[in-house]
Amino acid sequence: MNTALNLSSSPHARDKWTTAFIMRVVLLALLPATVIGVINAGLHALLVVLVSVASAVLSEFAFDKLCHRPDTWKDCSAAVTGLLLALSLSPSVPLHLPLLGSMFAILVCKCCFGGLGKNFINPALAGRCFLLISFGSAMSSFQVDATTSATPVALLMTGEQVDITKMFFGFTNGVIGSSAAALLVGGLALWAMDIIHGEICFSVLGMFTLVIGLFGGQGFNLQFLMANLFGGGVIMGAFFMATDYVTSPVTKLGQMVYGMLIGLLGGIFRLYGGTADSFSYCVITGNLFVPLIDTYIVAKPYAYRRFQLIKQSSIAGEPLFKRIPRPVIVLTVIALVSGLALSGVYAMTKDTIEDQKRAAQAASFLVVCPEADHFETDPAIDKAIADLNGGVYGSGFGRVTINEGFAALDAGGSTVGHALSVTTADGFDGNITLAVGIGADGAVNGISFTELNETPGMGMRVDESEFKDQFSGKAVSRFTLNKAGGSTAEDEIDSVSGASTTSGAVVNAVNAALDFYRTVVKGEN
Amino acid sequence: MVKNTFRGGVHPLGHKELSREAPLCEFLPTGDMVFPLSQHIGKPARCIVKKGDGVLVGQRIAEADGFVSSHIVCSCSGKVKAIEKRRTLTGSSMDCIVVENDGLFTPAEGFGVRENPDNITNEDILQRVQDAGIVGLGGAGFPTHVKLRPKNPDAIRYVIANGAECEPYLTCNDQLMRVKSDAIVEGLELILRLFPGAEGVIAIEDNKPVAIAAMKQAASGKKHIRVLPLKTKYPQGGERSLIRVIAGVDFPISRLPADVGCIVDNVGTIYAIQRAVLYREPLFSHCFTLTGEAVRNPGNYIVRDGTSFAELLESSGGLKDGVTAKKALAGGPMMGIAMSSLDVPIQKQNNGLTLLAEDPNEQAQAQMTACLRCGRCTTVCPVGLLPQLMADAAIDGNYERYEKKLRGLECIQCGSCTYICPAKRPLMQILKQAKSEITARKRAEAGGKK
Repeated sequence: MNTALNLSSSPHARDKWTTAFIMRVVLLALLPATVIGVINAGLHALLVVLVSVASAVLSEFAFDKLCHRPDTWKDCSAAVTGLLLALSLSPSVPLHLPLLGSMFAILVCKCCFGGLGKNFINPALAGRCFLLISFGSAMSSFQVDATTSATPVALLMTGEQVDITKMFFGFTNGVIGSSAAALLVGGLALWAMDIIHGEICFSVLGMFTLVIGLFGGQGFNLQFLMANLFGGGVIMGAFFMATDYVTSPVTKLGQMVYGMLIGLLGGIFRLYGGTADSFSYCVITGNLFVPLIDTYIVAKPYAYRRFQLIKQSSIAGEPLFKRIPRPVIVLTVIALVSGLALSGVYAMTKDTIEDQKRAAQAASFLVVCPEADHFETDPAIDKAIADLNGGVYGSGFGRVTINEGFAALDAGGSTVGHALSVTTADGFDGNITLAVGIGADGAVNGISFTELNETPGMGMRVDESEFKDQFSGKAVSRFTLNKAGGSTAEDEIDSVSGASTTSGAVVNAVNAALDFYRTVVKGEN
Repeated sequence: MVKNTFRGGVHPLGHKELSREAPLCEFLPTGDMVFPLSQHIGKPARCIVKKGDGVLVGQRIAEADGFVSSHIVCSCSGKVKAIEKRRTLTGSSMDCIVVENDGLFTPAEGFGVRENPDNITNEDILQRVQDAGIVGLGGAGFPTHVKLRPKNPDAIRYVIANGAECEPYLTCNDQLMRVKSDAIVEGLELILRLFPGAEGVIAIEDNKPVAIAAMKQAASGKKHIRVLPLKTKYPQGGERSLIRVIAGVDFPISRLPADVGCIVDNVGTIYAIQRAVLYREPLFSHCFTLTGEAVRNPGNYIVRDGTSFAELLESSGGLKDGVTAKKALAGGPMMGIAMSSLDVPIQKQNNGLTLLAEDPNEQAQAQMTACLRCGRCTTVCPVGLLPQLMADAAIDGNYERYEKKLRGLECIQCGSCTYICPAKRPLMQILKQAKSEITARKRAEAGGKK
């Protein structure tokens, strides 16, 4: 024994896994989604991926060199950041976006905070949000087969139907990594290998589903839930973004709280938020809570935990009573209480809302029949409405329903006209309800809106007199919409510019009211 | 089958195949024998021989100084050569008795004849264990006679014979259980006589099927003794892990196993108890594994205390040709102490010498990255601690958080966190430093108050 022996503290055995190994496995897990994305979107998507990864790795390399720090690009964590960023970009973005995004992610969010393990928000998501803010239009233009259209989630948020199978496999408009199936395969593999924490991804997904199910207005409808889960980066966020080691808590309990927080925010943003990109912001918000969670949610050693059972006899199975962590109970209770409170408030205010609606209706009838002193029910109208049974009225008017109708009487008791309330479901943002006043001569007195939720500055402008007054005093059988404007003909209505959908829906509703008036009140056919 | 195990833990490669089938054989040294006066937890023993005295095998050469201390027994015959400071395996110097070995191994009078167990009283058992200088042979070296006298003997529910041998590489307890199964069961029965309310449990990891079968055979027909196969996982053989499995309790580090009704003894210790009680044989030899990739002939031995590690290695055939040992460990790789020289004596509680051709820590240092916060250390910690947050607090010097909030002093220093860390951070070293820092501060504080 003449060689020097090494001395060190025990243990003298180490596991095979290294940082670089874990990062490589994560890269592999992202491969299926990348491949499907590139097949789906074409060569440009591949370029986006390559530029993003190369930019991330080179940024880290350059930073380490310039700042005389040990080389860290070899641990592959920069490559993971680059790939994650690329997968959350539209395949049609110009190539300077992934370049800048990766540079921002690595240099600003990672290196400036001390490199691997020190960044406080997920660099890939930070890079994505940086691009969203800086290059909004390029970031939200999604092109597949040279046609631009909205992403499934954008459609879903406006209440449209989407094709879930296509979404699941990723053959829709969206980011490069939009294949929920491929991401699920990768994510579940990582979970099975114990690389990502199930506590995080499953509490994100669970809480998100719960919120969507409770408050989404469609209950736990599988179709609806899946459409929400498979789009908008939820799977990517839950399995690959939220589970980022550096920006998630280290304790199991903390991870559950963190996951549920992200799921809760994700659900709320999806239901009530204005953008389809909200999940990135949810995860980042969750990241910001991590130092707080790690400071306060500290698990006690087993010996100090409650429910410590001293078994009297020989070994039985594990205790049946598994501990439910307190934060889980607390959050569940909060979710239930707020859900109940919301529905309670609705139930309590329902009648008041109805009363107010009726008052508004009465007021609007007066507006459209200014000569009237009071209104009386008309048996013919009531019968016709009862016959319709809430269904769509006539054909050629879109989805129009007739709510109610009254005869307008002057102080002397003679009929001066009729007032009808109609609703069209063809508005840009939900229902439009309006009152239409028709004089005894069959000409339109005027219209007045009682329910209008259109886009401010655009569809909302149908409520301005410039548009509304076009109907007044005209006795035509049917109005037509002139999208170009500058109408001269009696039956033409100029569209509010930029809001032809809303304008068209209103014109159709008025036409329906006129048709109803002629058929039911006048008995024409 | 429900696997019997604790929470957390790691699965280091066993490497037990190197020496598993090598039968136990007695190793008789020829060189000088060195007996450090402190081979146990507690006060060092007091030397009772002088330079030039003749000594025999089994003769007491140093006496326990107080209750928590232990006698030192000579393991060879010859002459006391010196009483001086010698380097021991931890690298520090310690008072040692050096005996020139005459190679005859002449035994002293008064031991070696089997007595009828029925004629031995409980007080005799305790006295003989104390006289024999028995300490825990699993590694800690806690005086066994202290452990066998808990405050409330009637409250003891389990006497656990620890044959888990979860430490990688080591196989001597496996071999001991194969060949001395009857003696171990007999030893366990003697201990059970002290604790009328207790059940004897022989706990063995399931990677030792032959030992399990042998112990089952030996324990068959004994009403109060059962053999319990355990899942193979480190640190399954830690006394807290065993108690978690068998009694179902986790308990704070400030409490002793006896406080939760358990006595845990290594099977080697139980064998020594049987020899001490029935044959009045003091503890001067124990089983020992010589192993590692660098060793030519790995094997299992009954070694005499005081033998030089170097002599055992040389006599067994030395290192493999062309291989240099990078690291020499007293014990196995998980808990073992790295030695700077092999020219130090084997002590009572040493159960192996592992010579590694590659040093995993050297490789780890090259692969070290910043902490990823992956939480693996938290998952594997058998105590339920958060090594990552503890290390952060220790590096920040926030000992208040370390001790009060994170309860870092509960650490049993098993090294699982360091083993699993993908960033290859020396967590255990940081935690050890934090623990000694906190202990030192407390001592300074207590001193200040006086």
